[in-house]
Formats: sequence, structure tokens, C-alpha cells
Amino acid sequence: MSKTIVTLVGKDRVGIIATVCNFFAENNINILDLKQTTSQGYINMMMIVDTDLYEGSVENLNKGLESVGAQVGCIIKAQHEEIFDMMHRI
Amino acid sequence: MVELDEAFETVNMVSHENLDVRTITMGISLLDCIDPNLDRLCDKIYRKITESAKDLVKVGDDIGNEYGVPVINKRISITPAALIGGAACKTPEDFVKIAQTLDAAAKEVGVNFIGGYSALVQKGMTNSDRLLIESIPQALAETERVCSSISLGSTRTGINMDAVRLMGEIIIKTAEATKEQDSLGCAKLVVFCNPPDDNPFMAGAFHGVTEADRVINVGVSGPGVVKHELEKIHGQSFEVLCETIKRTAFKVTRVGQLFAKEASSRLGVPFGIVDLSLAPTPAIGDSIADIIQEMGMERAGAPGTTAALAILNDQVKKGGVMASSYVGGLSGAFIPVTEDKAMAEAAEVGALTLEKLEAMTCVCSVGLDMIAIPGSTPATTISGIIADEMAIGMVNQKTTAVRLIPVIGKDVGDFAQFGGLLGEAKIMPVNKFGCGDFVNRGGRIPAPIHSFKN
Repeated sequence: MSKTIVTLVGKDRVGIIATVCNFFAENNINILDLKQTTSQGYINMMMIVDTDLYEGSVENLNKGLESVGAQVGCIIKAQHEEIFDMMHRI
Repeated sequence: MVELDEAFETVNMVSHENLDVRTITMGISLLDCIDPNLDRLCDKIYRKITESAKDLVKVGDDIGNEYGVPVINKRISITPAALIGGAACKTPEDFVKIAQTLDAAAKEVGVNFIGGYSALVQKGMTNSDRLLIESIPQALAETERVCSSISLGSTRTGINMDAVRLMGEIIIKTAEATKEQDSLGCAKLVVFCNPPDDNPFMAGAFHGVTEADRVINVGVSGPGVVKHELEKIHGQSFEVLCETIKRTAFKVTRVGQLFAKEASSRLGVPFGIVDLSLAPTPAIGDSIADIIQEMGMERAGAPGTTAALAILNDQVKKGGVMASSYVGGLSGAFIPVTEDKAMAEAAEVGALTLEKLEAMTCVCSVGLDMIAIPGSTPATTISGIIADEMAIGMVNQKTTAVRLIPVIGKDVGDFAQFGGLLGEAKIMPVNKFGCGDFVNRGGRIPAPIHSFKN
């Protein structure tokens, strides 16, 4: 399974997670885990997703997330899970 | 499972703190290209480089996209050209043809620098070594991406003072040959004591003869991330300071290790080493001087600077060594002046002098790097500065280097601009007292006593 970590940061408002989840559903991307916090009106969210059934390239995924980010006023990034494991686990 | 705060730490390091991978450098052996016919030699060199590195830039960019951490430079290092050209080159101009071939190959595969227009003359010079050295001014003036490095000394052999004297003259001639661009040629020329065979950083990268046919070496991220982490523990004890640098160096090096393994497997080229060096750029916040200032110096160069740099260098190694299966190259902190904005500013206000920089090179890797000096500086004075730096490397069993830029037509206080990653700075004063009688003695400085370990 090819796991990707999606991070989102921005000003909180109604429908951010719904919009992001819809994008994933439309693109055959399965959400494995979701964590989020809100503080002083801002949202930090992280999703671990399975991109095995996604047919586009990494560039396409990032472009798609960029336009979703523009819709909801947040910065969204997708990165391969391994980089987080390498940096934060011995 | 990755936690929320860990994920955002990584994301912030990239977006706000300049976390990146500085360079993926492919070392390519050209020993199998050697041919007594110059045209055939150049043809073989071009083909070997363009075939070996045809996917280097694409793979570097792909990995950067997938992991969300940019790979800033993709580069190539080759076997020292003096060894490759010896059979075919009868004049310095013949060697220039090899330089032009390297430049064309670098442009074809899209790398921004190719290193290894080099000669290793720490003990003596062959005819081929001398021809290559004599060709350097023309070669660097007529090419864009070729970098040249000359090894002038080592702990095992001592210092070749004939070559030191010659390089003083060659540096001036290279400056003259590129005087229209603030003597830019000298930014692509470095002299070494104890150079490593697997250095991925320019201008000193070459692919040593003890290396495999091809190899992938990676240089980790710059000082920006370390500086930001230190801001969070401002004013705390040395223990906290050292732990923070070590922990950050570990994380940064893990990224380098991951990218090196990934590039190696995608390119089908063995993984060589990760170089832990923190290499600054002129970007704001990506500066070794900023780290020194964050540690408590009013300006880099103030008393305490050498100790601060020693701490930084040692803690980076302690954190980095554990993060990578093979550490190599230069692996220390670079202290260039023009390439580091805060360093250039410290020099400009008089906090940082050439002599202080020399002292700093005793505790970090490399040496007097990217320092613009008056174009009128005598060649023997440049040779004297080189000899001092080579002696520091020889006696302390470490790598030292000199990359000085005598800017023709400009003097102390004038501004020299090299553009892009090479940066800009005011010209620094050089000690006016001569050393010609010392430099012109001729011969070699013998190896130091502690080199006799057998």
C-alpha cells in the first residue's frame, strides 16, 4: 500500500474537511486516518491516505489539492509517508 | 504512526525554514574513456556522462515532488581530468577542449555544475597535471558550468609549495580572464589540502580513483533549519543548545539518507555517502553567520565565534552520523562569505576579517571560501594565504581549502557581485606585508611528524 500524508493548515470555517474528503472520494483515494486540532480560529489537520487506486501522478494530486486549498482558504500538501517516519523515528 | 505535531514540524521546516536536499551529485569514473586521440577522448567523455546522468535531473525532481522536499541542485563529479587527459593532451589548449566537452555534457543533462576539472599534485606534478593547471584560466573563462579543484597538500605527503606558488599565479590569471564578470572564474576554482574523494559539493567535487564506476552522493540541507530550531531555545544552556543542534541535524540528515537511497535505487547507481555539511546560500535565514549570531555573538567574527563554530560543527556530526549509514565528503560547516548573507554583512561592518576566518577554519570543514579580495593582491600573497590554510589542514589532519576571488579593477570596500547562489559581498582587505621570499623558495614542505603512524 502506498501511504501518503496530507497536511492542511489555514483559517477554520464550515466545510473544510467535507470539501477535502469529497475530493478524495472523487479520486478513489481512501482515507486511513485523520487527526485535527483547532486553535484561535485556525485549523491544523493531517490525513493518512491510501493512493493505490488513484490514477494520477503526484503532480496531479498536488495540483488537485492546491485548487481544493484555494476553495477552502487553506494550504494543503501531500507527501510520501516515509519522509515522516525517517525524520521522526529511529 | 506519525503524530500531528511531527507532521507539521516537517511541513514547517520545508515551508518556513528552508529544509531541502542541497545536492544529489553523481560521481562518474572516466578512467575507461582514456584515449591517446583527443577527439575520440572527448567523444567518449561526452557519451559516458550523458548516458550515465541522463535521468539524474528528472529523478531528483521526481523524488522532491513525491516527498515534498525540494532537491536544489543536481550535479556531476568526474575523475580528475588531469588523469584522463594525460595521454591525449599535449598543450593547455588540448585540456580546454576537455573542459568544453564537460560543459556541453553538463548542459545536455541539465546539471548546473560539473566538478573534477582537477589535478592531485600534493606531492609532485606530472606534465599532464601542469598542462591542466596552466589551462585553468582559459577553461574557466570559456565554460559556464565546469568547476576546477587542485589538491596541493595532505597530511601524508606534506605540501607541494611549487604547486602553491603556481596556483597563486593561476588564480590571478583566472581572475584576469573573467574580469568582465567580477572575476567569476575564481568562484569555480578551489585548492585543497586533504580533499575527500566523495565530496558532493562544488567547486571541490571530484570522483576519486578509489571510487566505483558510478556513485550517488548527497549533500543535506543548509543552516536555515538549525537556525530556526535555535531561535526556539534562545538564551538556554550549552547542554540544551548542543542537544537541539544534534536533534535537528539528525532529522535533516535522515531526509538526505532517504533521498540518497531512493535516487540510488531509481538510477541503478550505488549509494556512496551523505555529506553532513551545512551549506549556506544568499537566501535570508539560510546562513551560518545567523546561527553564530543566534548563539550569542553580536556579529559573526566577534570573540567567541570560533568556539560557536566548533560547537556547531561537532554537534552536526554527532547528530548526522547516527542518521546515515554512510557519512563522508566534507561533513562540516561551510563558512563562505559571499554565499552567506549575514557573513557578508559581518565582513562589511568589520566584525569578520580574513585572519578571523582563518582561525575559524581550524574547527570547521573546508576553509577560506568565496572571499572577494582586491584585484591588485600579489600572486605571492595569495600563495602565502594558501600555504597557511594548507598547513592548518596538514597539521590537523583535516580538509582545508581556499577559494579566493581577486576582483580585477576593484579594491577594498568596492562591491563584487557573482549572482545566484554565489552571492555578493564587499571586497575584504588583505595583509599588505609580503611573503614572496618564502613562497619562491621552491620545493616541498615535508609531511608532519604525526603522519608517521606505521
